[in-house]
Amino acid sequence: MTQSIIIWLIWLPLAASPLIYLVGRISRRQWGYTSTARWVALAALAASWVPFVHAYRQFSAEGVLTYVYGSVALRLDGLSLLLAGVVLLLATLVTLYSNPYMAGEIGESKYYAMLAAISGVMIGLGCAADLFNLWLWFEAMAVTSYLLVAFYRDESAALEAGVKYLVQSAVGSVFVLMGVALVLAQTGTLDLAAVGTAVSTQFADSPLLLTAGALFVIGFGVKIAIVPMHTWLPDAHSQAPSGISAMLSGVVIEAGLVALLRSLSALAGVAAAWGELLIGFGVLNMVAGNLLALRQTQVKRLLAFSSLAHVGYMLLGLGVAIYAGNVAGAEGGFFHLISHGLMKGLAFLSAGALLYVLHTARGDHSPLTVSDLAGAAQRYPLVALVFSLALLGLGGLPPLVGFMSKWQIMAAGFATQNTVLYAIVAFAALNSVLSLAYYAPLVNMVYRRQPSTAVLAGQPVPFMMQIPLLLLAVGVVAIGFWPNLVNWLVQPAGAALLAAFGG
Amino acid sequence: MNDMSILVAGVIGLLGAGLYGLLAVRNLFQVIIALQVLVKAAVLALVMAGYASGNLALGQSLGVTVIVADTVVAVIGLALAVQVKRHLGTLDIKALATLRR
Repeated sequence: MTQSIIIWLIWLPLAASPLIYLVGRISRRQWGYTSTARWVALAALAASWVPFVHAYRQFSAEGVLTYVYGSVALRLDGLSLLLAGVVLLLATLVTLYSNPYMAGEIGESKYYAMLAAISGVMIGLGCAADLFNLWLWFEAMAVTSYLLVAFYRDESAALEAGVKYLVQSAVGSVFVLMGVALVLAQTGTLDLAAVGTAVSTQFADSPLLLTAGALFVIGFGVKIAIVPMHTWLPDAHSQAPSGISAMLSGVVIEAGLVALLRSLSALAGVAAAWGELLIGFGVLNMVAGNLLALRQTQVKRLLAFSSLAHVGYMLLGLGVAIYAGNVAGAEGGFFHLISHGLMKGLAFLSAGALLYVLHTARGDHSPLTVSDLAGAAQRYPLVALVFSLALLGLGGLPPLVGFMSKWQIMAAGFATQNTVLYAIVAFAALNSVLSLAYYAPLVNMVYRRQPSTAVLAGQPVPFMMQIPLLLLAVGVVAIGFWPNLVNWLVQPAGAALLAAFGG
Repeated sequence: MNDMSILVAGVIGLLGAGLYGLLAVRNLFQVIIALQVLVKAAVLALVMAGYASGNLALGQSLGVTVIVADTVVAVIGLALAVQVKRHLGTLDIKALATLRR
């Protein structure tokens, strides 16, 4: 049986990327149609669901799929499928959403080309089976996201965000490469599974491999925004077009997390406490993210800082899983990956919708401040409702999805029966309460009786923009009530993580 | 001095020069050049790793791939620098510090 389904899954969005650009450009030049690129992009991403469904079926029937071309191997396991699913979901909805949002922008066809490219690249990153291949996908993801962050190239703030992001990511990727070189020098191989075997049989206490692990944590940590390597994130996520903010916060950080887990899983045999390390960084991220978010006055910056805190929850869940070998922690961490993708995607998209109708649609590129939101519910009841749902979900209010995923992580922490972890879990719960201190005022602001001047002068929200908002809101509520709906993605991913770490 | 120690010294030297450059310079073009120096340390490290593990061809092909990928980053960095010069009239990175934490 052919396993080339992996190639289709990765190749379809990647091959569509230049096509979107060319078709969009030619049809605009020749016939004056400006909207072709959007529809081609939407068709390409919708078509990518076909290989995804096939890959899922084949995976459930045959287990891990491998595609070998020469010396390069791609491997599709539960973790790859999880990443591919979240990427495709958000990318499709963002394309739909951007249809009115980006209409008429300069370089619109490039935007969609890059959006398709970054989706394909992230799916590929999830399937990489050797360390260098992993780095290459990681670098390709970084390069596409630089262009998307600095998309508004006439705004000096966007340029600043782009430069900061590029410099920090590039240094991070050099660190990763150094780590790859150390692993190659010590073990003589780069295949993740082969490195894992070599490490546990021969090099269990090699200082070089310990250094390599530290370099991976630092290098990939820049992309995951592990504190203190997070300083690029609030700038980049708030200056990018809103659809891209949703992609960056919802999946790009998580793709970095997958890359880190893959590279560390190869080094699982080194006598090192990777689980404890991740837990420690998780706690740090929660505190720093929440405290920094408290004092923000711009909505998108605030949401960007809250991503730091949520990465902290994921790190906590996955760290517990690696430390104690309990599958509930891994499933909780990956469930939170999905639920954060949904909630933060929804939050950025609805904040973006308000930004669009209050500022951007009138050619004004100033940021959306918290005070602009006052009374937004009076004119935009639907957007206000879904925005509030997203915020309360992020804050962890039951019965929304954010509560369920945080709950599972905390339950996993308690299941370890470890006093220090009890304290950390209690601390995480308190952090959740702290985060309400900045989510709740936003909700309050949206439902004020007296609309702000910006709201009074605002435009109506385009219909196409409301569809993805509604779909995501339904997801946030429905998965909160029935968390088992995502088991088909979360359970194989958790099993794959524990298998890779030998738990 | 054997071959290996010369290579290690080269990697460390390039790494140090690149990091120092990143911290010391204020011109955006110089920042990009410092990044290039830093990446060259990684290229040398990969070739060295291939040599050390007895698979020099693999190390060299990895190095070439890194050079290709890194060129793309440099091109984007320079494109950003051009835009920065166009809109701010300067390449001083201090002028690029308006976004507050």
